[in-house]
Amino acid sequence: MLQKLRQSGTLLGFFLILLFFALKLPDTFLTARNLINISQQLSMLAVVAATMTIVMVMNDFDLSVGSMASLSGIVAAMLFTAGSPVWVGLSVALLVGVFGGLFNGFLVSVVGILPFVATLGTLTVFSGLAFLLSDGKTIFGRDIPSSFSGFARAGIEIGDVKVPMLTITAGLVIFICWAILEHTNFGRRLYAIGGNKEASYLAGIKVVRLRLIAFSLTGLGAAGAGLMYAARVASANPTQGSGLMLDAIAAVFLGMTMSRRGEPKVVYTLVGVLILGVLDNGMTQLRVDSYVREIFVGLIVLAAVAVASLSKRRNAK
Amino acid sequence: MQSLTFSNMSKAFGGVSALADVTLNLSGGRVHALMGENGAGKSTLIKLIAGVLKADSMSVEKNGQPLSVNDARDAHEAGFRFIHQELNIIPQVSVAENVLLGRDLPRKLGLAVDWKKVKTLAEDALAFLGATHIDVTVPAGDLPAGDKMMMKIAAALVSGEQSKPVLYVLDEPTAALTGEESEKLFDVIERLKTKGASILYVSHRIDEVLRICDDVTVLRDGEFVASNEIPKTSKADIIQAMTGRNFKNAYPKRETQVGEDITVSLKNVSTSNLQDVCFDIRAGEILGISGLAEAGQSDLLKLFMGIGKIKTGSASYMNEALPGSPSEAWARGIAYIPRERRSEALCLDMSVKSNIVLPHLSEYGFYAKPRLESEDALEFGDKVKLKSNGVLQPVGQLSGGNQQKIVFARGLKGDPRLLLLDEPTRGVDIGAKYDIYLLVRELSAKGCSVILTSTDLPEVLGMCDRILVMQHGRQAYLLESAQMTSADLLSYFFTDNEAAV
Repeated sequence: MLQKLRQSGTLLGFFLILLFFALKLPDTFLTARNLINISQQLSMLAVVAATMTIVMVMNDFDLSVGSMASLSGIVAAMLFTAGSPVWVGLSVALLVGVFGGLFNGFLVSVVGILPFVATLGTLTVFSGLAFLLSDGKTIFGRDIPSSFSGFARAGIEIGDVKVPMLTITAGLVIFICWAILEHTNFGRRLYAIGGNKEASYLAGIKVVRLRLIAFSLTGLGAAGAGLMYAARVASANPTQGSGLMLDAIAAVFLGMTMSRRGEPKVVYTLVGVLILGVLDNGMTQLRVDSYVREIFVGLIVLAAVAVASLSKRRNAK
Repeated sequence: MQSLTFSNMSKAFGGVSALADVTLNLSGGRVHALMGENGAGKSTLIKLIAGVLKADSMSVEKNGQPLSVNDARDAHEAGFRFIHQELNIIPQVSVAENVLLGRDLPRKLGLAVDWKKVKTLAEDALAFLGATHIDVTVPAGDLPAGDKMMMKIAAALVSGEQSKPVLYVLDEPTAALTGEESEKLFDVIERLKTKGASILYVSHRIDEVLRICDDVTVLRDGEFVASNEIPKTSKADIIQAMTGRNFKNAYPKRETQVGEDITVSLKNVSTSNLQDVCFDIRAGEILGISGLAEAGQSDLLKLFMGIGKIKTGSASYMNEALPGSPSEAWARGIAYIPRERRSEALCLDMSVKSNIVLPHLSEYGFYAKPRLESEDALEFGDKVKLKSNGVLQPVGQLSGGNQQKIVFARGLKGDPRLLLLDEPTRGVDIGAKYDIYLLVRELSAKGCSVILTSTDLPEVLGMCDRILVMQHGRQAYLLESAQMTSADLLSYFFTDNEAAV
């Protein structure tokens, strides 16, 4: 009973939130334009949360995604400033993400530091690097090539609606993460590691290697989100990604309340992302103070996790 | 003399009856065995007594007076104490604190903990059990399994200050103990008897029950089958009552010859935990590894999984070097059934299917193929006579015997050339045990070599062709098992082999 309530409760809550805003903001909320707008606002978070799901499937997590997003934006912008072509800037920034993630994976699976501690450390390191490289300043204006920032303004016309490229990118990333986790044996192995690391190792799963790969994918996702953000605001500053980490973990947690055995799943993570994004958009339109919004999001996550752990305890009996 | 009666105990889960109208009469100062195969309702019965599960119906009487047991607190206040199969200890904390767990520690002036008193209280409790050799200041996790059991029993004794213990429930207490440790436990049980409390002893091991228990009650499929005094019954009667079948030979006989080819060859192998291990295993041969607890049996098995470095000597598997990692071992046809089913073998939240195919995922290619996996899981589930609600059921919901069958199904699937079994029938009921033995024989007939470690001596003698006795990580004897008795084998555990040094 509680299990059912938990699984469907989050979805129900989501619809209630939608209904609430639809009634409160009849003219502006449920319009194609606003929904498109939400999807674009959400695209960075969606990318980070979807790739965060990959490590959380193994019971690990990555606190450094936000500062990685900042760092990758700065790296790309620095290269643009130095006159590099766009593709070089993008590739290097994404590689920074992969190597940053590999470093996390190395600390966690080879050295054996708890993910919380290891990625808290790299969070600070990446953030410090972003400040060091940029000298603490925002990089903007003519330094940012228009072919880069233009991407964020572009879109594909479907009927009379223009679907932004950022939304499409996020959709692609989500699809890839979903395919990896649900439909490849790589994904199955990650879930097995999350189920029981020791047993997976003894059953021949290459735990160390898989954790390295998973962390580097999460790093890649974070770097990609940083680039998306930089393109959207046509600038890069060393704190731009700082809000992403908490929201991404919150989205995964919200999603975990919906799955049968409390394991993270990409599709449910997406619902978590939507909940956070809709709340954000609706409350902004209602002119609710952004600090109040933070309190709200925190409470929602706590409620979701509380219901999840309560029902787990029931099941254990 | 105290009497304790639990009557009319019933419990159903979602319409399926787990326990139906069972009655249990326990008298003070006697050890009462509760027996039955896995799924017979023993665990449910214990949980009802403990107040952990709410009974559909149950009445409890102590010396003719009704008692109400609705929750765990009631059970504790009534004086019921439980010593579980899976010990709940806090490994980092000292033995003394573990013994006093669950009660307020004695204090000086109501403030600082009186550590001296903590120590003496714990020591007194252990001394009563005759376990004076345990140092109460070391972390509990450092104790050998047998001493942990003593510690938990001491804890049950000490927590009796507020309410005198009237019933001790020991759930599979010897499952993790060696022969020697079990002997100590039996002494402790004798001492507990003198205190006048009743003891409910749950075990699969019939020989043990016949030796130390006074009465026995047998359950089957959630129903009461028989209850009797031990001297008035026999091993055959009990097995008949438990299984509903006639007593048959507990171990299937070898029917094929051991092959000629050598699967495994170790020459004077030493690692950080092993010394001078030296043996060959032929195709189809079953080698037992026996000895006191933690004499290196598990380390030796893990060596074949690529865990542990060979320092001196040489070792080969199929005429090549040993695998360097578990993944290589599985890929080269070595199947491993680890000792700790729950922590080392299974992902309990995951499905039967996922657990069976886990080491073989690479055979399915890059993309997951759920349908093919389900077919394979069904096929191998059938081979091991698995009873489950389909291949998607989480394995955590299955009984210990069925969980172990899943681990076997996983091993069978790769068509192994070498099967490593670490305590393969621990916590497994008689019916499932026999099925497992048959599987081992079947594999051996197909030419698969088997290495089996077990603290269950009749099992080692009944299944193995040769037995390697280990002492402190050193190979002490390599014996032919034919004609040997448990007593013979046990004596080798304690006799230093000068010739082997």
